[in-house]
Amino acid sequence: MRKLSMCTALCSLVLCGMLNAEESMSMNAADKAMYAEMLENNPAAMDVAEGEDMFNSLIGKDAYAKVLGVKVKDLPKTIAGFPRMVKVAGKVVTLSQSLQMAAADRGHPVPKLESNEMIKMTAHVKSLANGLETNIDVKADKQMKEMAVLGQHVFEERRGGRGLSCNSCHSPDIVGSRLRMQALPDLGAKETASAATWPAYRMTQSVMVTFDKRMQQCMKNALLAELPLGSKEMVALEVYVTNKGKGNTMQIPGLKR
Amino acid sequence: MKTLIKIKPKDYKVGDIVKVDFMAMHPMESGMRKDKDTGQIVPAHYINEVNFLFNDKMLTKMITWESLSVNPVLTISLKVSGAGTLKVLAKDNKGDNVESSVAITPKG
Amino acid sequence: MERRSFLKGFGAVSACAALVPSIVSAADEAKKVTGPNEMSVESALAAITGGKPVTPSTKVSLSAPEIAENGAVVPVKVSVESPMSANDHVKAIHVLATKNNNVRCANVYLTPANGEASFATRIKLGTTQDVLAIAELSNGTFLSAKQNVKVTIGGCG
Ligand code: HEC
Repeated sequence: MRKLSMCTALCSLVLCGMLNAEESMSMNAADKAMYAEMLENNPAAMDVAEGEDMFNSLIGKDAYAKVLGVKVKDLPKTIAGFPRMVKVAGKVVTLSQSLQMAAADRGHPVPKLESNEMIKMTAHVKSLANGLETNIDVKADKQMKEMAVLGQHVFEERRGGRGLSCNSCHSPDIVGSRLRMQALPDLGAKETASAATWPAYRMTQSVMVTFDKRMQQCMKNALLAELPLGSKEMVALEVYVTNKGKGNTMQIPGLKR
Repeated sequence: MKTLIKIKPKDYKVGDIVKVDFMAMHPMESGMRKDKDTGQIVPAHYINEVNFLFNDKMLTKMITWESLSVNPVLTISLKVSGAGTLKVLAKDNKGDNVESSVAITPKG
Repeated sequence: MERRSFLKGFGAVSACAALVPSIVSAADEAKKVTGPNEMSVESALAAITGGKPVTPSTKVSLSAPEIAENGAVVPVKVSVESPMSANDHVKAIHVLATKNNNVRCANVYLTPANGEASFATRIKLGTTQDVLAIAELSNGTFLSAKQNVKVTIGGCG
């Protein structure tokens, strides 16, 4: 049944004339190497540096570790495991939400999830885990198990004017095909390393974008109703997609098209 | 204008040639883009001069144009002649300018 | 009708226009605002060389992607074989995007203290075109290299 519906979605993409296998327009190895080299000079490095200053003045490692209930030296591997259950929150939260909690804990005004300050701090704090593999544990507790199930549901649910789901474009059956010249990425694959590379600088937008915001952009493009940042469904989606790419190496900030 | 200078590799000796990366947060408006909301053309606004100085001596002078990407990155080489300061002065067509610097500290 | 709305959903039209200004359509209006910046390859070359000949040379190496993922951010690297000594060095590297409204990207004036003649940056390309690098040597001669970069229409979304 599901297979059938997925096929309909796929066909609607094909009929739109937007899906094709344009191999001739894909990049060769030398081009790919040039783009990879660009990672070293990522303009978002400036945002991350700013995020570091903000994090140190607003929260600091000690206070942050305290809120997460871990030792400072364990921060990197804890950071590589988000979204995760945080005891004092009593629920599964994203890294940005944990920073909000830490700011509140210190009696500071809580930066909004979509604020520049939060985006920059998130990028800096995630970058503390650079080089580590993402270690999200969707079996860690009841709450994580629940979120993983909900996340899969959100990922596969066909919504919006086109009846598309995330799966319509990111299922294993379809990834690699091209939609208007853009290869449909396998979100879990090493080359995409989705969860491990956002916040990333989007070259098409000239700004750094967070992971949840990137997913919202897909929703907007595919005419799915946008889930609000920080909503249970959005966090669950992040859990599910992060788990697809579990074990990929953290490399923040990423550099994306 | 926010900027960042990076020296690569991190460790180097006198006589080595290192790469100097200069990045700036700048819209690099070409003067041809229409504002999505107002429909008005956004006036040209771009970095038009970047000077790299080592110990206050001109290393490289650049005249730059609006064809550089938004938030541009400029990379040149430096032959490390000794310890000192690498200074970068950047200026845009509206007169905004910024000075940033980084210490050059060769090991051995 | 269907197709249109799908295209619109992908922000194809608006986003592209915003990021990589379409030189053709915007040129007329742009003249009023930024007139002096328009420059053709011929005038830019004349300004750089003062009319002296430019010789294509393997001493100049220019790397740019054959296919740009995104016309708004195209990496370009130039290096020139040279001892970079006081008597024999590269005085300048000029990078031109031959079909942009203003073809000039950067004029980079080097000194022997650079140690090697190299320059890298990222440029905007409005359309598929040749990128041209010109090296100005201390003996007053000019060498060049060029590479064609295809800009895919998918540079948006
Ligand atoms: C109509 C097809 C389509 C749908 C539906 C879609 N996406 Fe995408 N998605 C894409 C394309 C195409 C890209 C790559 C775009 C690019 O290269 O810039 C992408 C990229 C992404 C990325 C970034 C991958 C990276 O580079 O790390 C994420 C994350 C993502 N999508 C998540 C989602 C989620 C979550 C949903 C469901 C809410 C979704 N997408 C729905 C087409 C789609």
